[in-house]
Amino acid sequence: MATPRPGWSRRAQYGLFFGFIAAIAGLVIGLILLGISIAAPRTFKDLRSLALDVTAPLTIPLHEVTATFQGIASGAGDYWDAARQNSRLKAENKAMREQLIVARAVQRENRQLKAVLNLRERTAETVAVGRLVGSSYQSPRRFAVLSAGSGDGVRTGMPVRTAEGLVGRVIDAGTFSSRVLLVSDRASIVPARLLRTGQAIIAQGRGDGAVELKPIEVGRNPFRPGDIIITSGTGGLYPPMVPLARVLRLEGDNAIAMPLADPGESAIAIVQKPYEPEAMSSLSQSEPGPP
Amino acid sequence: MVRSALASNRRIGQGPVSGAPYVPAASVIAATFLSSLPVVSLSGWFPDFGFLVLIAWRLLRADAWPSWWAAPLGFVNDLVSGYPLGFSVSLWTAAMLVLDLLDRRTAWRDYWIEWALAAILILAGEAAQWQVAAWMGAAVPFSAMIPSIIISIAAFPVAAWMVGRLDRWRLGQQG
Repeated sequence: MATPRPGWSRRAQYGLFFGFIAAIAGLVIGLILLGISIAAPRTFKDLRSLALDVTAPLTIPLHEVTATFQGIASGAGDYWDAARQNSRLKAENKAMREQLIVARAVQRENRQLKAVLNLRERTAETVAVGRLVGSSYQSPRRFAVLSAGSGDGVRTGMPVRTAEGLVGRVIDAGTFSSRVLLVSDRASIVPARLLRTGQAIIAQGRGDGAVELKPIEVGRNPFRPGDIIITSGTGGLYPPMVPLARVLRLEGDNAIAMPLADPGESAIAIVQKPYEPEAMSSLSQSEPGPP
Repeated sequence: MVRSALASNRRIGQGPVSGAPYVPAASVIAATFLSSLPVVSLSGWFPDFGFLVLIAWRLLRADAWPSWWAAPLGFVNDLVSGYPLGFSVSLWTAAMLVLDLLDRRTAWRDYWIEWALAAILILAGEAAQWQVAAWMGAAVPFSAMIPSIIISIAAFPVAAWMVGRLDRWRLGQQG
């Protein structure tokens, strides 16, 4: 295609023509692939897992390097105002200890009450522990790459959390690493609960790092800035009582919240079994999830 | 005097580097792999480096590669960057075809026109990405795409400059 007229050479003219045809064929193949990817996102699962494994040797060691440099930078920052930070942390620590005692008492009471009610207590089993080593920082979709894969027992659909809160769920599992759909992705919907009132809500990602909270019952806006949102366990995929987000501001009937687990900050993430094992089987069959 | 004027400037070892025809495609793949850098970011505002380098090469030289090479290059980008499979294949090939057709129409070009062309292609690419995300159940408002569009358009001259340097190196020209 270099020049419209390649001269009198038949060979050059044919080469140009067939190149053009090949490009159109490439376009058509691309569109067909894209159509399949949209209609049936699980079709190319194995291929995508393979690609994750190919890039894992690049992503995981480089993450160690950047984590070291970040650690040096933030460590130096901590030294900068160590005295003030120290007194603040002491005060926080004291308050936390008091709360912890109350929480322990409540937990014990809760266990007794549950035993009385004969409720089956499910504990969320940890499948694997990995690091969040990368993200889709070029696209409107919000994915992260986790350095644990099917070799560690990770399967598509499993929930991922950190110590701070829920991160998302696995959508592609390679052998050494897996791709996680973050709660801030637009396609992620998490059944949740307002911690203060216990009201059931739905948390949907906004694609820009925040989540949008929608109350299930229509009425006056139940949110207040600073409210903590936890998962409700409805649907059986995500375990209940996992911290999810903190409300930033209200918007009409809804609220905008920031996830408590910042995938950039919290490096270590835990992959758990789905809370109800049945949720996983229905998920892998019916859900038209992301790629 | 005459002798020095007639003497070629070229020194031994300054011809095209070996494998020069494959340098453009290799640089696109290298740019694609930038997306697997360990950057954990809340917002997806970074440009699609592979696409930027691809259109920078194509705008610099019409013969950087046969147009259909864009399809396999896009396939690599889809796999590495985690786009829905087929997205970059079609977008990149379509961009090559559009530029091929434009080459027949335009009489002259300068930097501003090249930047404008790149901006239009970037805009079309981001709009396609937005539409595909909407079809896949992740419909974000289009205003959320504006920062990434602006960043990509602003990043294009950097990509064009690097591609220009790379082209000089690969052809063994000075300067």
